[in-house]
Amino acid sequence: MKGVKVKKISKVVRLIAATTAVAVVLVGCTSSSEEPATDTTATSGTVRVLMEGVPDTDIVSGLLAEFNAEYPNVKIEIETASYDQMRDKYVASFTAAEPTYDLAILDNPWVGDFAKAGFVKPLDNLIASTNGYDYEDFTAPLRAIGEADGQIYGVPFYNYALGLIYRSDLVSVEPTTLDELAATAKSLTTAGRAGIAMQPQKGYKAFEEWGNYLFAAGGTLYTDGKVKLTTPEARKALQTYIAMYKSSAPKNSLNWGFDDALRSVSSDKSVMMVSYNWMLPTLNNPEGDSGALAGKFKLATMPGGKQVLGSWHWAIPSNSSASDAAWAFVSWISSKAGEVKRVTAGGAPTRTSVFNDPTATAKDPNYFTTISKILSNAEPLCQGSNCDEMINAVGTELNAAFAGKKSVDDALRAAEDQANKIQAD
Amino acid sequence: MYEGVQMSLRLRLMLPLVVVFSASVGYPLLHAFYLSLTNYKITSRGDTKIVWLQQYIATLQDPNYWSSLRVTAVFVILAVFIEFWLGLFVALALQKQRKIKDLTRSFLLAPMFVTPIAIGLMFRFILNQQLGVIPTFLAKFGLAYDFFGPGKALFTIVLIDVWQWTPFMVLLLLAGLEGLSKSPFEAAKIDGASALFTFRKITLPMLMPVISVAILIRSLDAMKIFEYVFAITRGGPAIETMTIQYYTYQTGIQFYRLGLASAMSYLMLIIVMIIAVILFRRVEATRKNQ
Repeated sequence: MKGVKVKKISKVVRLIAATTAVAVVLVGCTSSSEEPATDTTATSGTVRVLMEGVPDTDIVSGLLAEFNAEYPNVKIEIETASYDQMRDKYVASFTAAEPTYDLAILDNPWVGDFAKAGFVKPLDNLIASTNGYDYEDFTAPLRAIGEADGQIYGVPFYNYALGLIYRSDLVSVEPTTLDELAATAKSLTTAGRAGIAMQPQKGYKAFEEWGNYLFAAGGTLYTDGKVKLTTPEARKALQTYIAMYKSSAPKNSLNWGFDDALRSVSSDKSVMMVSYNWMLPTLNNPEGDSGALAGKFKLATMPGGKQVLGSWHWAIPSNSSASDAAWAFVSWISSKAGEVKRVTAGGAPTRTSVFNDPTATAKDPNYFTTISKILSNAEPLCQGSNCDEMINAVGTELNAAFAGKKSVDDALRAAEDQANKIQAD
Repeated sequence: MYEGVQMSLRLRLMLPLVVVFSASVGYPLLHAFYLSLTNYKITSRGDTKIVWLQQYIATLQDPNYWSSLRVTAVFVILAVFIEFWLGLFVALALQKQRKIKDLTRSFLLAPMFVTPIAIGLMFRFILNQQLGVIPTFLAKFGLAYDFFGPGKALFTIVLIDVWQWTPFMVLLLLAGLEGLSKSPFEAAKIDGASALFTFRKITLPMLMPVISVAILIRSLDAMKIFEYVFAITRGGPAIETMTIQYYTYQTGIQFYRLGLASAMSYLMLIIVMIIAVILFRRVEATRKNQ
């Protein structure tokens, strides 16, 4: 009898113990889904990354101490290079038996080719298994750039969407159509100052700037998956661009790129320019090159509201020897909290949530409102593979039209033919 | 027996050269030839197929390839022509110089020792419309000239090459002038020949072997024009300064099409070899005639 009682008590104890154990496990699971309880000290490794020598890289470098406070066993080694060197260095590393870099940043034209070549690995599983990462919070156009064949190969690092930068003391009403932009530029042109500093340099710059004119004229780059440039909108955009170059741009500026236009605007030689949105703080910096003009510059969306989008994405090479540590860093710097830190330090935003963060937007709320509009309606120059070649071919044809070497129709036809041939290859 | 031993020694002495040459030149050449027969792209892993002469046919049908060949030819002809006559003029002047010869020659040769990419970057800023010293100087007189504009960029690149490589011509031609026998000149002077007559009938013919070599070396070197284009124009405006080397670089490195770029390089190699053989024969013929 006593034995039966003891057995019964023992059964009850085991039942309670088992229930408690299940409850503890369940509680543990619940807590981990709400708050990441990852042991950050367990992740270790040295992550070598090549980055462009630009302010956004300096901002990332400045946040490494905070990252290491959370991940003390992950060492980030940043090597900087000029843009021209980066892609070749990455390709050499991706194809080597022993990689030079464990983490990469990809310019938007590279994503399709590198994904197709298997140089970078899909991040879908890593994103899904990272609690609270909220990938959908990145703006939709930026997300699209990092995706190829239905998989995510890059998460946004910073944007370089374009917009219209103008002198608020000289331009009273922001142009809302392409014709208004042309008329404003012409009316502001004087003997000593151009209405708009343009960037017709052969290749990427020509296409990048003209793409904004195409969108402002109501055109698109792709129709049914093919590049379509023999349209009335494209013709109007190119005719307007050429007319504006002749009437309102600085003389002899056919070879001008981004830095030339910036110098012209900051030195009071031009009133407006189509440029990267994050140039505004640089121009308005009282200690910068603008001198007394600092504070007089404003940013607007392109007439029509749509603009060309560029971006850099974080990606993990397939042959990375420290992919866990690399993702630890990427998921930290591109998390919602990391984005706030980066944007507060002056970095270009990529997440929707950051526009509602009072800390990040405190310096100039109007500027962030405009960037929010820009990022919600922007499109890259190229989708798919062979983007560098396609952009260069179109940019060369456009430059030929700017230089008067080809007619508008011939240049657009040649650009369309070459672009589709290159992308089909 | 003796001859056999000597042959064996010759072969053994040649062996290091053959090994080094095979490794450093032979292997890359053979590999490039193999690539030229494939559709190899850096970004198409494991997808490479032998396409035989397809890349060569594609190159020959590419209007941009022919255009870049034409641009390169115009550049070489103009640059070498100006460098030769300017170099000869300077060499003749230096030959007469008696004082501070070493200092003058050191200064004159300085551009040659600077790497071409640095020269390209230097001129990019010197001729920049906003920052450049030359456009600023011209502006003081109300003049404006777009050095890299349509119809002008290639000639600007030619002038940059002339600035850097005329000293090379001076160096060779001066050495040639100083090595000429004095007696024909003394005889001409006694006979009352004019300076122009002496130059045309004695100096130039006697200097011809050196001139041929100088033009040969400079022409082959000028065909490699890449750095100025890369640093300044990137082939623009449109494709006005797209030289063959830059076009091949773009195709192979920038656009990953190594198979096609190898075919372009091989076709260029054939063209260069034909030109080199013609010029070498000319040099040889000139030497024999003397």
